[in-house]
Amino acid sequence: MRPPTDVTAATSICLELDDIQSGALLERPAPYVGTYLLFRVDDQHAGRELVRRLHPLVASCRTSSEPARDALVTLTFTYQGLKALGVPRESLDSFAPEFRQGMAARAGELGDVGESSPVNWERPFGTPEVHIAMAILARDVARLERVLERELRAHQNLPGVDLIWRQDCYQLPTGRTSFGFKDGIAQPAVEGSGIPGTNPKERPLKPGEFILGYPDETGSLPPVPTPEVLGRNGTYVVFRKLHTRVAAYRHYLRAKAASREEETLLGAKMVGRWQSGAPLALSPERDDPELGADPGRNNDFLYGDDLRGFKCPAGSHARRTNPRDALDHEMSVDVRLHRLIRRGTSYGPPLPEDILEDDGVDRGIIFVFAGAHLKRQFEFVKTQWVNDGIFIGAPAEKDALVGPNDGSGMFTIPQRPIRRRLQSLPPFVVTRGGEYCFAPGLRALRWLAELQP
Amino acid sequence: MPRSTGTTATPATVTPRPGVLVGSTSEFSLFFHVKPGHEEAVRETIATLQNSPGYRPGDYDLPIATIHEARFVLFDGDTRLLFATSFDGPWDAYMEDFASKPLQLFDAIFRHVEGYDGLPDVAAVRDFVLRAQVTATGYGRNYGGTVKEIRKALRVNNAFQRVLDDPAALTALQQPAMQPLLDEAAD
Repeated sequence: MRPPTDVTAATSICLELDDIQSGALLERPAPYVGTYLLFRVDDQHAGRELVRRLHPLVASCRTSSEPARDALVTLTFTYQGLKALGVPRESLDSFAPEFRQGMAARAGELGDVGESSPVNWERPFGTPEVHIAMAILARDVARLERVLERELRAHQNLPGVDLIWRQDCYQLPTGRTSFGFKDGIAQPAVEGSGIPGTNPKERPLKPGEFILGYPDETGSLPPVPTPEVLGRNGTYVVFRKLHTRVAAYRHYLRAKAASREEETLLGAKMVGRWQSGAPLALSPERDDPELGADPGRNNDFLYGDDLRGFKCPAGSHARRTNPRDALDHEMSVDVRLHRLIRRGTSYGPPLPEDILEDDGVDRGIIFVFAGAHLKRQFEFVKTQWVNDGIFIGAPAEKDALVGPNDGSGMFTIPQRPIRRRLQSLPPFVVTRGGEYCFAPGLRALRWLAELQP
Repeated sequence: MPRSTGTTATPATVTPRPGVLVGSTSEFSLFFHVKPGHEEAVRETIATLQNSPGYRPGDYDLPIATIHEARFVLFDGDTRLLFATSFDGPWDAYMEDFASKPLQLFDAIFRHVEGYDGLPDVAAVRDFVLRAQVTATGYGRNYGGTVKEIRKALRVNNAFQRVLDDPAALTALQQPAMQPLLDEAAD
């Protein structure tokens, strides 16, 4: 087959950065504090009025003016939300099928079963009541408060719109996740965004992989919701609250390791990086905090020289979710079709060091994905690479850290002379809820606010 | 802040997949109509593929590493073509990947079948594959495991046979930890 011919056209395509929500392409501030808010719209006039009032808080990828620069505000809508705002049927039907079904309906497919099943989710997740989801990430509390205050004023005196859920998040003092790892390191570069990528060995991806209305890696224009003013420059957003069982995780490693050094090593093998962020691919023997902290080097690597996984196990979290060149020779998968932009944050206080007993406190990760393809990006990575091991020739193994293990999970660590195999892995992450959302462009937000059904 | 009372969550559903899955492997069969006048050409193209590295009998090295075998069958007087394989994983999840990688390998063959004109976009690929695909009425397998696991198993057995050919094998295999291997050593 000929390679798609219209790809070249994309090189001349200009991303409309001044219409794309900043949260879609810009990095979160670091450090950060933030809040996630969910609204229910009972009255469509009030709902549209809320969108009109919130619109000025949302910056584009090009905004440099205060107060938009104070905080990264992302305004998104669920399928039920678009319906509640009065978006016409024809337009609703033009959205991706997975988005129309919603995350709860996809639970079986996504492995959100048992404790992670929607019946056990935090309300209002998984109900048809989540309509508008908003994220505010700021550099400090003062800036966050300024934006929050404007947000609160926006939905004051608006009967018919209810704030039904709020989750605060903040970067832990260590700058790491509750499991103790530096995260959010590997982000794909997007052609035409002007935002430098993190991996010099990865060609920037076509903008259509992440922003609707542009050609993607297949050379096609992905299906764009209609009318064009609503769909263009939008992106799908996956939002998941993931509770992390830090004590169980530490307990497990402690039980499997003979020393603290070995504990650290096992943890790193599960993740594919040391706690500092230093990749095993570049520093297989020991942590290298300088490497971990260096954005010029900490994502500059491939797996081609380590196909058997002696440095970084094929089943490690980072290698599963971004296999880089590790599968290229197999000719069955094109990893560029399964790349994710992640905007995750941490919530809850850290579990104090050395505590191995659960303190009952809720802590974890707010997982946020942005992309143009719910199915072949987020859902593919979750179902084929995280929840399954067929692709690495280990069908019995799931992602040891975030996979839906049930106490019988397994994880193989290649090493000479004899491989190590961890058995009886329990779940370390439980889904507390989530939604599939759509983050429209700025013009589309105005269109929604002014909609006259 | 008000806490919503909520209603019952939508029950989780799993979308039915095309293709029967046995263990990790799914059957995948595509039935095509050969373009009139292309009967001879398609036969020659398949012969060329058959003689290329990886496909030659005994090579065991198909360029696509996640299929157990591949067969092209011309039937009904060369007017029809069957492509049948066994794929590790649910193949429909890889639909977009097919366009970018595996289908390119069969371009020379597929250009002789109807409904193929280079597959310019994903919609065309989806259309091409789903129009031709027929789910098996029956499908069984005589071994479990992915291609990667089977290849590993073959390598391990080769190594084991070499161990058995060594006169020191008996002493070595009498270590208690070796019992499972000793059980396999007698024939």
